[in-house]
Amino acid sequence: MPASRLAASSGSSMRSWAIKIVLLGLVDALAVFAMFVLFMQESWIVFGVTLAVTIVINWIYLRPGGLPAKYLAPGLLFLAVFQIFVVVYSGYIAFTNYGDGRNGTKADAIENIQLTSLSRVADSPTYRLQVLEQNGSYSFLVTDPDGDVLVGNPDQPLTEVTNAEIDGTGKAISLDGYTTLSFADLLNNQRAITSLSVPFSDDPADGALRTPDGSNAYVYESALEYDEASDTFTDATGLVYRDGGEGAYVNDDGRELIPGWTINVGFDNFVTAFSNDDIRGPLISVTIWTFAFAILSVATTFILGLFLAIVFNKPGMKGKKVYRLIMILPYAFPAFLSGLVWLGLFNQDFGFINQVIFGGAAIPWLTDPWLAKASVLIVNLWLGFPYMFLICTGALQSIPEELTEAATVDGARPWAVFRLIKFPLLLVSVAPLLISSFAFNFNNFNIIYMLTGGGPRDINAGVDAGATDILITLVYKVAFGEGTGRDYGLASAFAILIFIIVATVSIISFRQTKALEELN
Amino acid sequence: MTNPFNPSDGQEIGARLNPAVAGAATTVRDRDEPRETRPSIPERRRRGFGYWFRDTGWRHLIGVVMLVFAAFPLAYVLSASLNPTGTLVGSNTLFRTIDFGNYVELFQLPQQPYAAWFVNTMVIGLTTSLGTVFLGALAAYAFSRMRFTGRRVGLLTLLLVQMFPQLLGVVAIFLLLSGIGEIFPQIGIGTQAGLILVYLGGALGVNTYLMYGFFNTIPVSIDEAAKIDGASHARIFFTIILRLVAPILAVVGLLSFIGTTSEFVIASIVLTSPETQTLAVGLYQFVSQETSTNWTLFSAGAVLAAIPVMALFLYLQKYIIGGLTAGSVK
Amino acid sequence: MKVTRSLLATGAMAASAALLLGACAGEAETADPTTAPETPAASSTLTVWVDADRAGVLEDIAAQFEADRGVAVELVTKDFGAIRDDFITQAPTGNGPDVIVGAHDWLGKLVQNGVVAPLELGDTAGDFQDVAITAMSYEGQTYGLPYSVENIAMVRNTDLVAEAPATFDELIAAGQAAGTEYAFLVGLDPAASDPYHLYPLQASFGAPVFEITADGTYDPTTLALGNEGGEQFATKLAEWGSQGILNTNISGDIAREEFIAGKSPFFLTGPWNIPAIQEGGINYAIDPIPTAGGETASPFVGVQGFFVSSRSENTIAATEFLVNYIGSEEVQTALYEVGGRAPALLSAFEAAQADADVAAFGAVGAEGVPMPNVPAMDVVWSDWGSSQVAIINGQGDPVELWRAMVASIQEKVTAG
Repeated sequence: MPASRLAASSGSSMRSWAIKIVLLGLVDALAVFAMFVLFMQESWIVFGVTLAVTIVINWIYLRPGGLPAKYLAPGLLFLAVFQIFVVVYSGYIAFTNYGDGRNGTKADAIENIQLTSLSRVADSPTYRLQVLEQNGSYSFLVTDPDGDVLVGNPDQPLTEVTNAEIDGTGKAISLDGYTTLSFADLLNNQRAITSLSVPFSDDPADGALRTPDGSNAYVYESALEYDEASDTFTDATGLVYRDGGEGAYVNDDGRELIPGWTINVGFDNFVTAFSNDDIRGPLISVTIWTFAFAILSVATTFILGLFLAIVFNKPGMKGKKVYRLIMILPYAFPAFLSGLVWLGLFNQDFGFINQVIFGGAAIPWLTDPWLAKASVLIVNLWLGFPYMFLICTGALQSIPEELTEAATVDGARPWAVFRLIKFPLLLVSVAPLLISSFAFNFNNFNIIYMLTGGGPRDINAGVDAGATDILITLVYKVAFGEGTGRDYGLASAFAILIFIIVATVSIISFRQTKALEELN
Repeated sequence: MTNPFNPSDGQEIGARLNPAVAGAATTVRDRDEPRETRPSIPERRRRGFGYWFRDTGWRHLIGVVMLVFAAFPLAYVLSASLNPTGTLVGSNTLFRTIDFGNYVELFQLPQQPYAAWFVNTMVIGLTTSLGTVFLGALAAYAFSRMRFTGRRVGLLTLLLVQMFPQLLGVVAIFLLLSGIGEIFPQIGIGTQAGLILVYLGGALGVNTYLMYGFFNTIPVSIDEAAKIDGASHARIFFTIILRLVAPILAVVGLLSFIGTTSEFVIASIVLTSPETQTLAVGLYQFVSQETSTNWTLFSAGAVLAAIPVMALFLYLQKYIIGGLTAGSVK
Repeated sequence: MKVTRSLLATGAMAASAALLLGACAGEAETADPTTAPETPAASSTLTVWVDADRAGVLEDIAAQFEADRGVAVELVTKDFGAIRDDFITQAPTGNGPDVIVGAHDWLGKLVQNGVVAPLELGDTAGDFQDVAITAMSYEGQTYGLPYSVENIAMVRNTDLVAEAPATFDELIAAGQAAGTEYAFLVGLDPAASDPYHLYPLQASFGAPVFEITADGTYDPTTLALGNEGGEQFATKLAEWGSQGILNTNISGDIAREEFIAGKSPFFLTGPWNIPAIQEGGINYAIDPIPTAGGETASPFVGVQGFFVSSRSENTIAATEFLVNYIGSEEVQTALYEVGGRAPALLSAFEAAQADADVAAFGAVGAEGVPMPNVPAMDVVWSDWGSSQVAIINGQGDPVELWRAMVASIQEKVTAG
């Protein structure tokens, strides 16, 4: 090894070692800070995980060897945090009833039912209010509509007082022995003050005053009373609502109080997914179309993209920069904007395609089942070919010219050179991307929703499935379209099932690709 | 110490090449056309139009057809952007009026700071694409050059993770970022840094594969020659390999930039104040109200938003097209 | 040498490691919000989600509120269409906003999810239009502070037809007599029709969506769509479809362009299209919607307003901000001026009557009913629209299609 080279190398070693120590120190400092916060919050599990991760990171970068981990760790960390988390979260939700009306904890639900069951007694008067404090507890100083002044707190019913200080508008604003709370004081104790209930007398039937805003009090009555001991709500007519075990309080007639709360439901969502008639009925035709759509989308965009990449990979061709530039435009505009334009172009009576290209013909592009399928594929081709064009243009660069030159010298025709030499090589590097593109289109919710919404729907069929519905749009309709609203639990169960299908198909395809790779 | 460099499958293709390492590294960046294939105009004249058409002309024909196919729907957008009272698709008469009022108005709305959105989009897009290229290249290098347990499974997993239907993605991301924000407010909800980190979560995956395939075509003999010279793996990676794979870095960077700048769903959850929002989020507000949509202003905004993508593509084109070919034929 | 190998990766490491740590921490934090430290008083901030148009007006009043009350108001500009669903997902985490702007027909969903708190308007309730307060109520409880009221009406090109027709049949006759390309225009969708715009015609046959209970609210369990009037309406839809009076390929954008081009004397639309019609130089009048089935053709009234989150820790500040600031005539007028929607506050509404168009739409709206705000409406819209498309395009017997639709909606509503 040349001496100069060695010197440079060891010099840069020292520098890189120093940089490494600084960066690692920075990470550790942030980790210690996070652990400190977690310690104060007593979040022990997360504290433990943080500690473990920090140790692992230090171990990876300080130990000798283990080179792959050093290169992979940064990307994998981001992946774990932002992608795996979503998957794990969906997996967790699939086993719950999380969805509209079931999106919080039971404690939140109880609090909310109590909150919404309280209402101002109709046509009851407004009491002007000043909140007072005495020995750390709050009292209401109210001026009734007749100008009488009363004071009271949740433990002591309202009694009339005469020694209160009255302001210019006739409102009592302070009382000896009490501290008058300013608006800022109110803001600091908003929950406590809005939850105060000051009775008129010892008899609860006389009602109680509450304040929603700290400056006015009203007589409130509650339509539902919660009994903590038996965990039930009772309404004014004596009907009892119990925790029915399904994340809501229900009475004997089956009427539920809203909101409910999230509970664990085990495999219920998966059972529903398999037994749902709206899914089972159209399942076969929708599955076939989903595969057809995904495969044809990949095939058309890839063939066009590859063809164009080859066409414009001609050295010395004039203007190819402009062609290339224009061709990536469909990719550079917001897809939903393009979708709307295409929607307009396809309009049966007014669209450019019928009016201008087909001379006024009334071709039902989006409302005929087969034409709608074709339209979706055409738009997806338009949206997707620039991606394939870019990928193929890039991938073509990795194919050594020597190979084609050698073959050409041997007398092979250009088509043969492409088919026998370039294409197999290209396929090895882009096959994984084609599989990934297949998976993307398999779940390409947006294009279907934007153009046809899954339609045209056979209105007589009795199910929501339309001619262009793919699995993911069908699932969306079933999980989010019932009277109960969005059922994230069911949607997640479907997501997992669809993932299993896509992953299986992909893994099988990968095996094929490997075989291909080994051929070369 | 075990040697993680283990030349094996996937590298035979590249091994047939015998490029001069240093030459490749330096010439790649300077030229966008392979030197020896530059057309010789007198020769073309000699052979006449027929030859020219068979050789190059038909490509122009296809180019023009594709130009119409690719650009025609967008002509509606351009036409709408130049018409202060028009709609997006209401009519088949394009370019009835030419008026740049919408473009002027874009920069004069106090509630919709278009200029700020533009800058934000550039910052977020460029940072994310640089980060994606860097993280992806690190991983692709490991997968291509080193042999370790779980390598094949790891490669496959990267791809599979991104196939998961993201029905709940938004909910999960919100929970995650608001949780992070409790400890590090600088990267919580409402911050551009937080958004960039979320985007970097997708850095591995398809991109890694794309790069991995390309890395495999770089002969291992190059690494080994450098190693014999005493270069560390870091040095080999940064100073030699990265230059050789410039085309694919440019492609991944461009794809990532386009993906980031047009991403709407996550950005609209994370970025909360108008000054921090991106073009995709901000522009959508022009048309999201069913009763007061402003298509013409929106179209003008979208036309301007497409310019950076085109500029970046023009800039990167020389790396994408020049690339390895230029070095290998020396 | 061994140590130095890993230098490069370390750079990217710093950020990502910190992130993971933070992230893990975050999960626990959201799971257990009670351990969060109390926020100090001085930093009391009211977070308000608004759409871009509203944000400008609220900026001034927010500054005023901060000056008066010492509470900062953070205005978060959101895409209006995303506010409802984002709010429903974010509020339960405890990290959602304190106040949102929204439409009254979201209310059922918001209440069902327990994310919205009742709002006591106190003695100011009487200062608003009755329809606005009714719309902001759900199961007897008031939830929002309304700021605008809007509805559709029949816009007539006075150069083409001089007199307002009394019935829909007369309208069609007048439209055909005018000799224009279309007798009548309304924006529909090829896949989803537009039950909102067609509702007044349906209502004139005596077929509302749900039965109305004694206290004037909708009973979401009893559909009224399927009554005899509904079936008569379905028959009429098919007839209008076959005559080309209704065309599902005419979208809202196309309808507006054609009306502005003078190709039809009538356009069933709302105040949002009036500025474009004025710019197009059309002489127009805003008429009541003529009846098709004999009864009053009452349109749906849409009300927009502000809601307080049930998870807000700032309820007093939020209530104060809504009732005494956004509820003021000054703010209601300012909101009207920027959005063109008639104010919900009576005094501001009366002042806005100076504008003849607002007065005319308001007169039509006085006959209207609030759009149902029950959660089941999501289901209703979808089936209602696609069945209308099938009927208009003659894809079956109208009455049978209508009955199938009613059965399908009933099934889903019952399942809910």
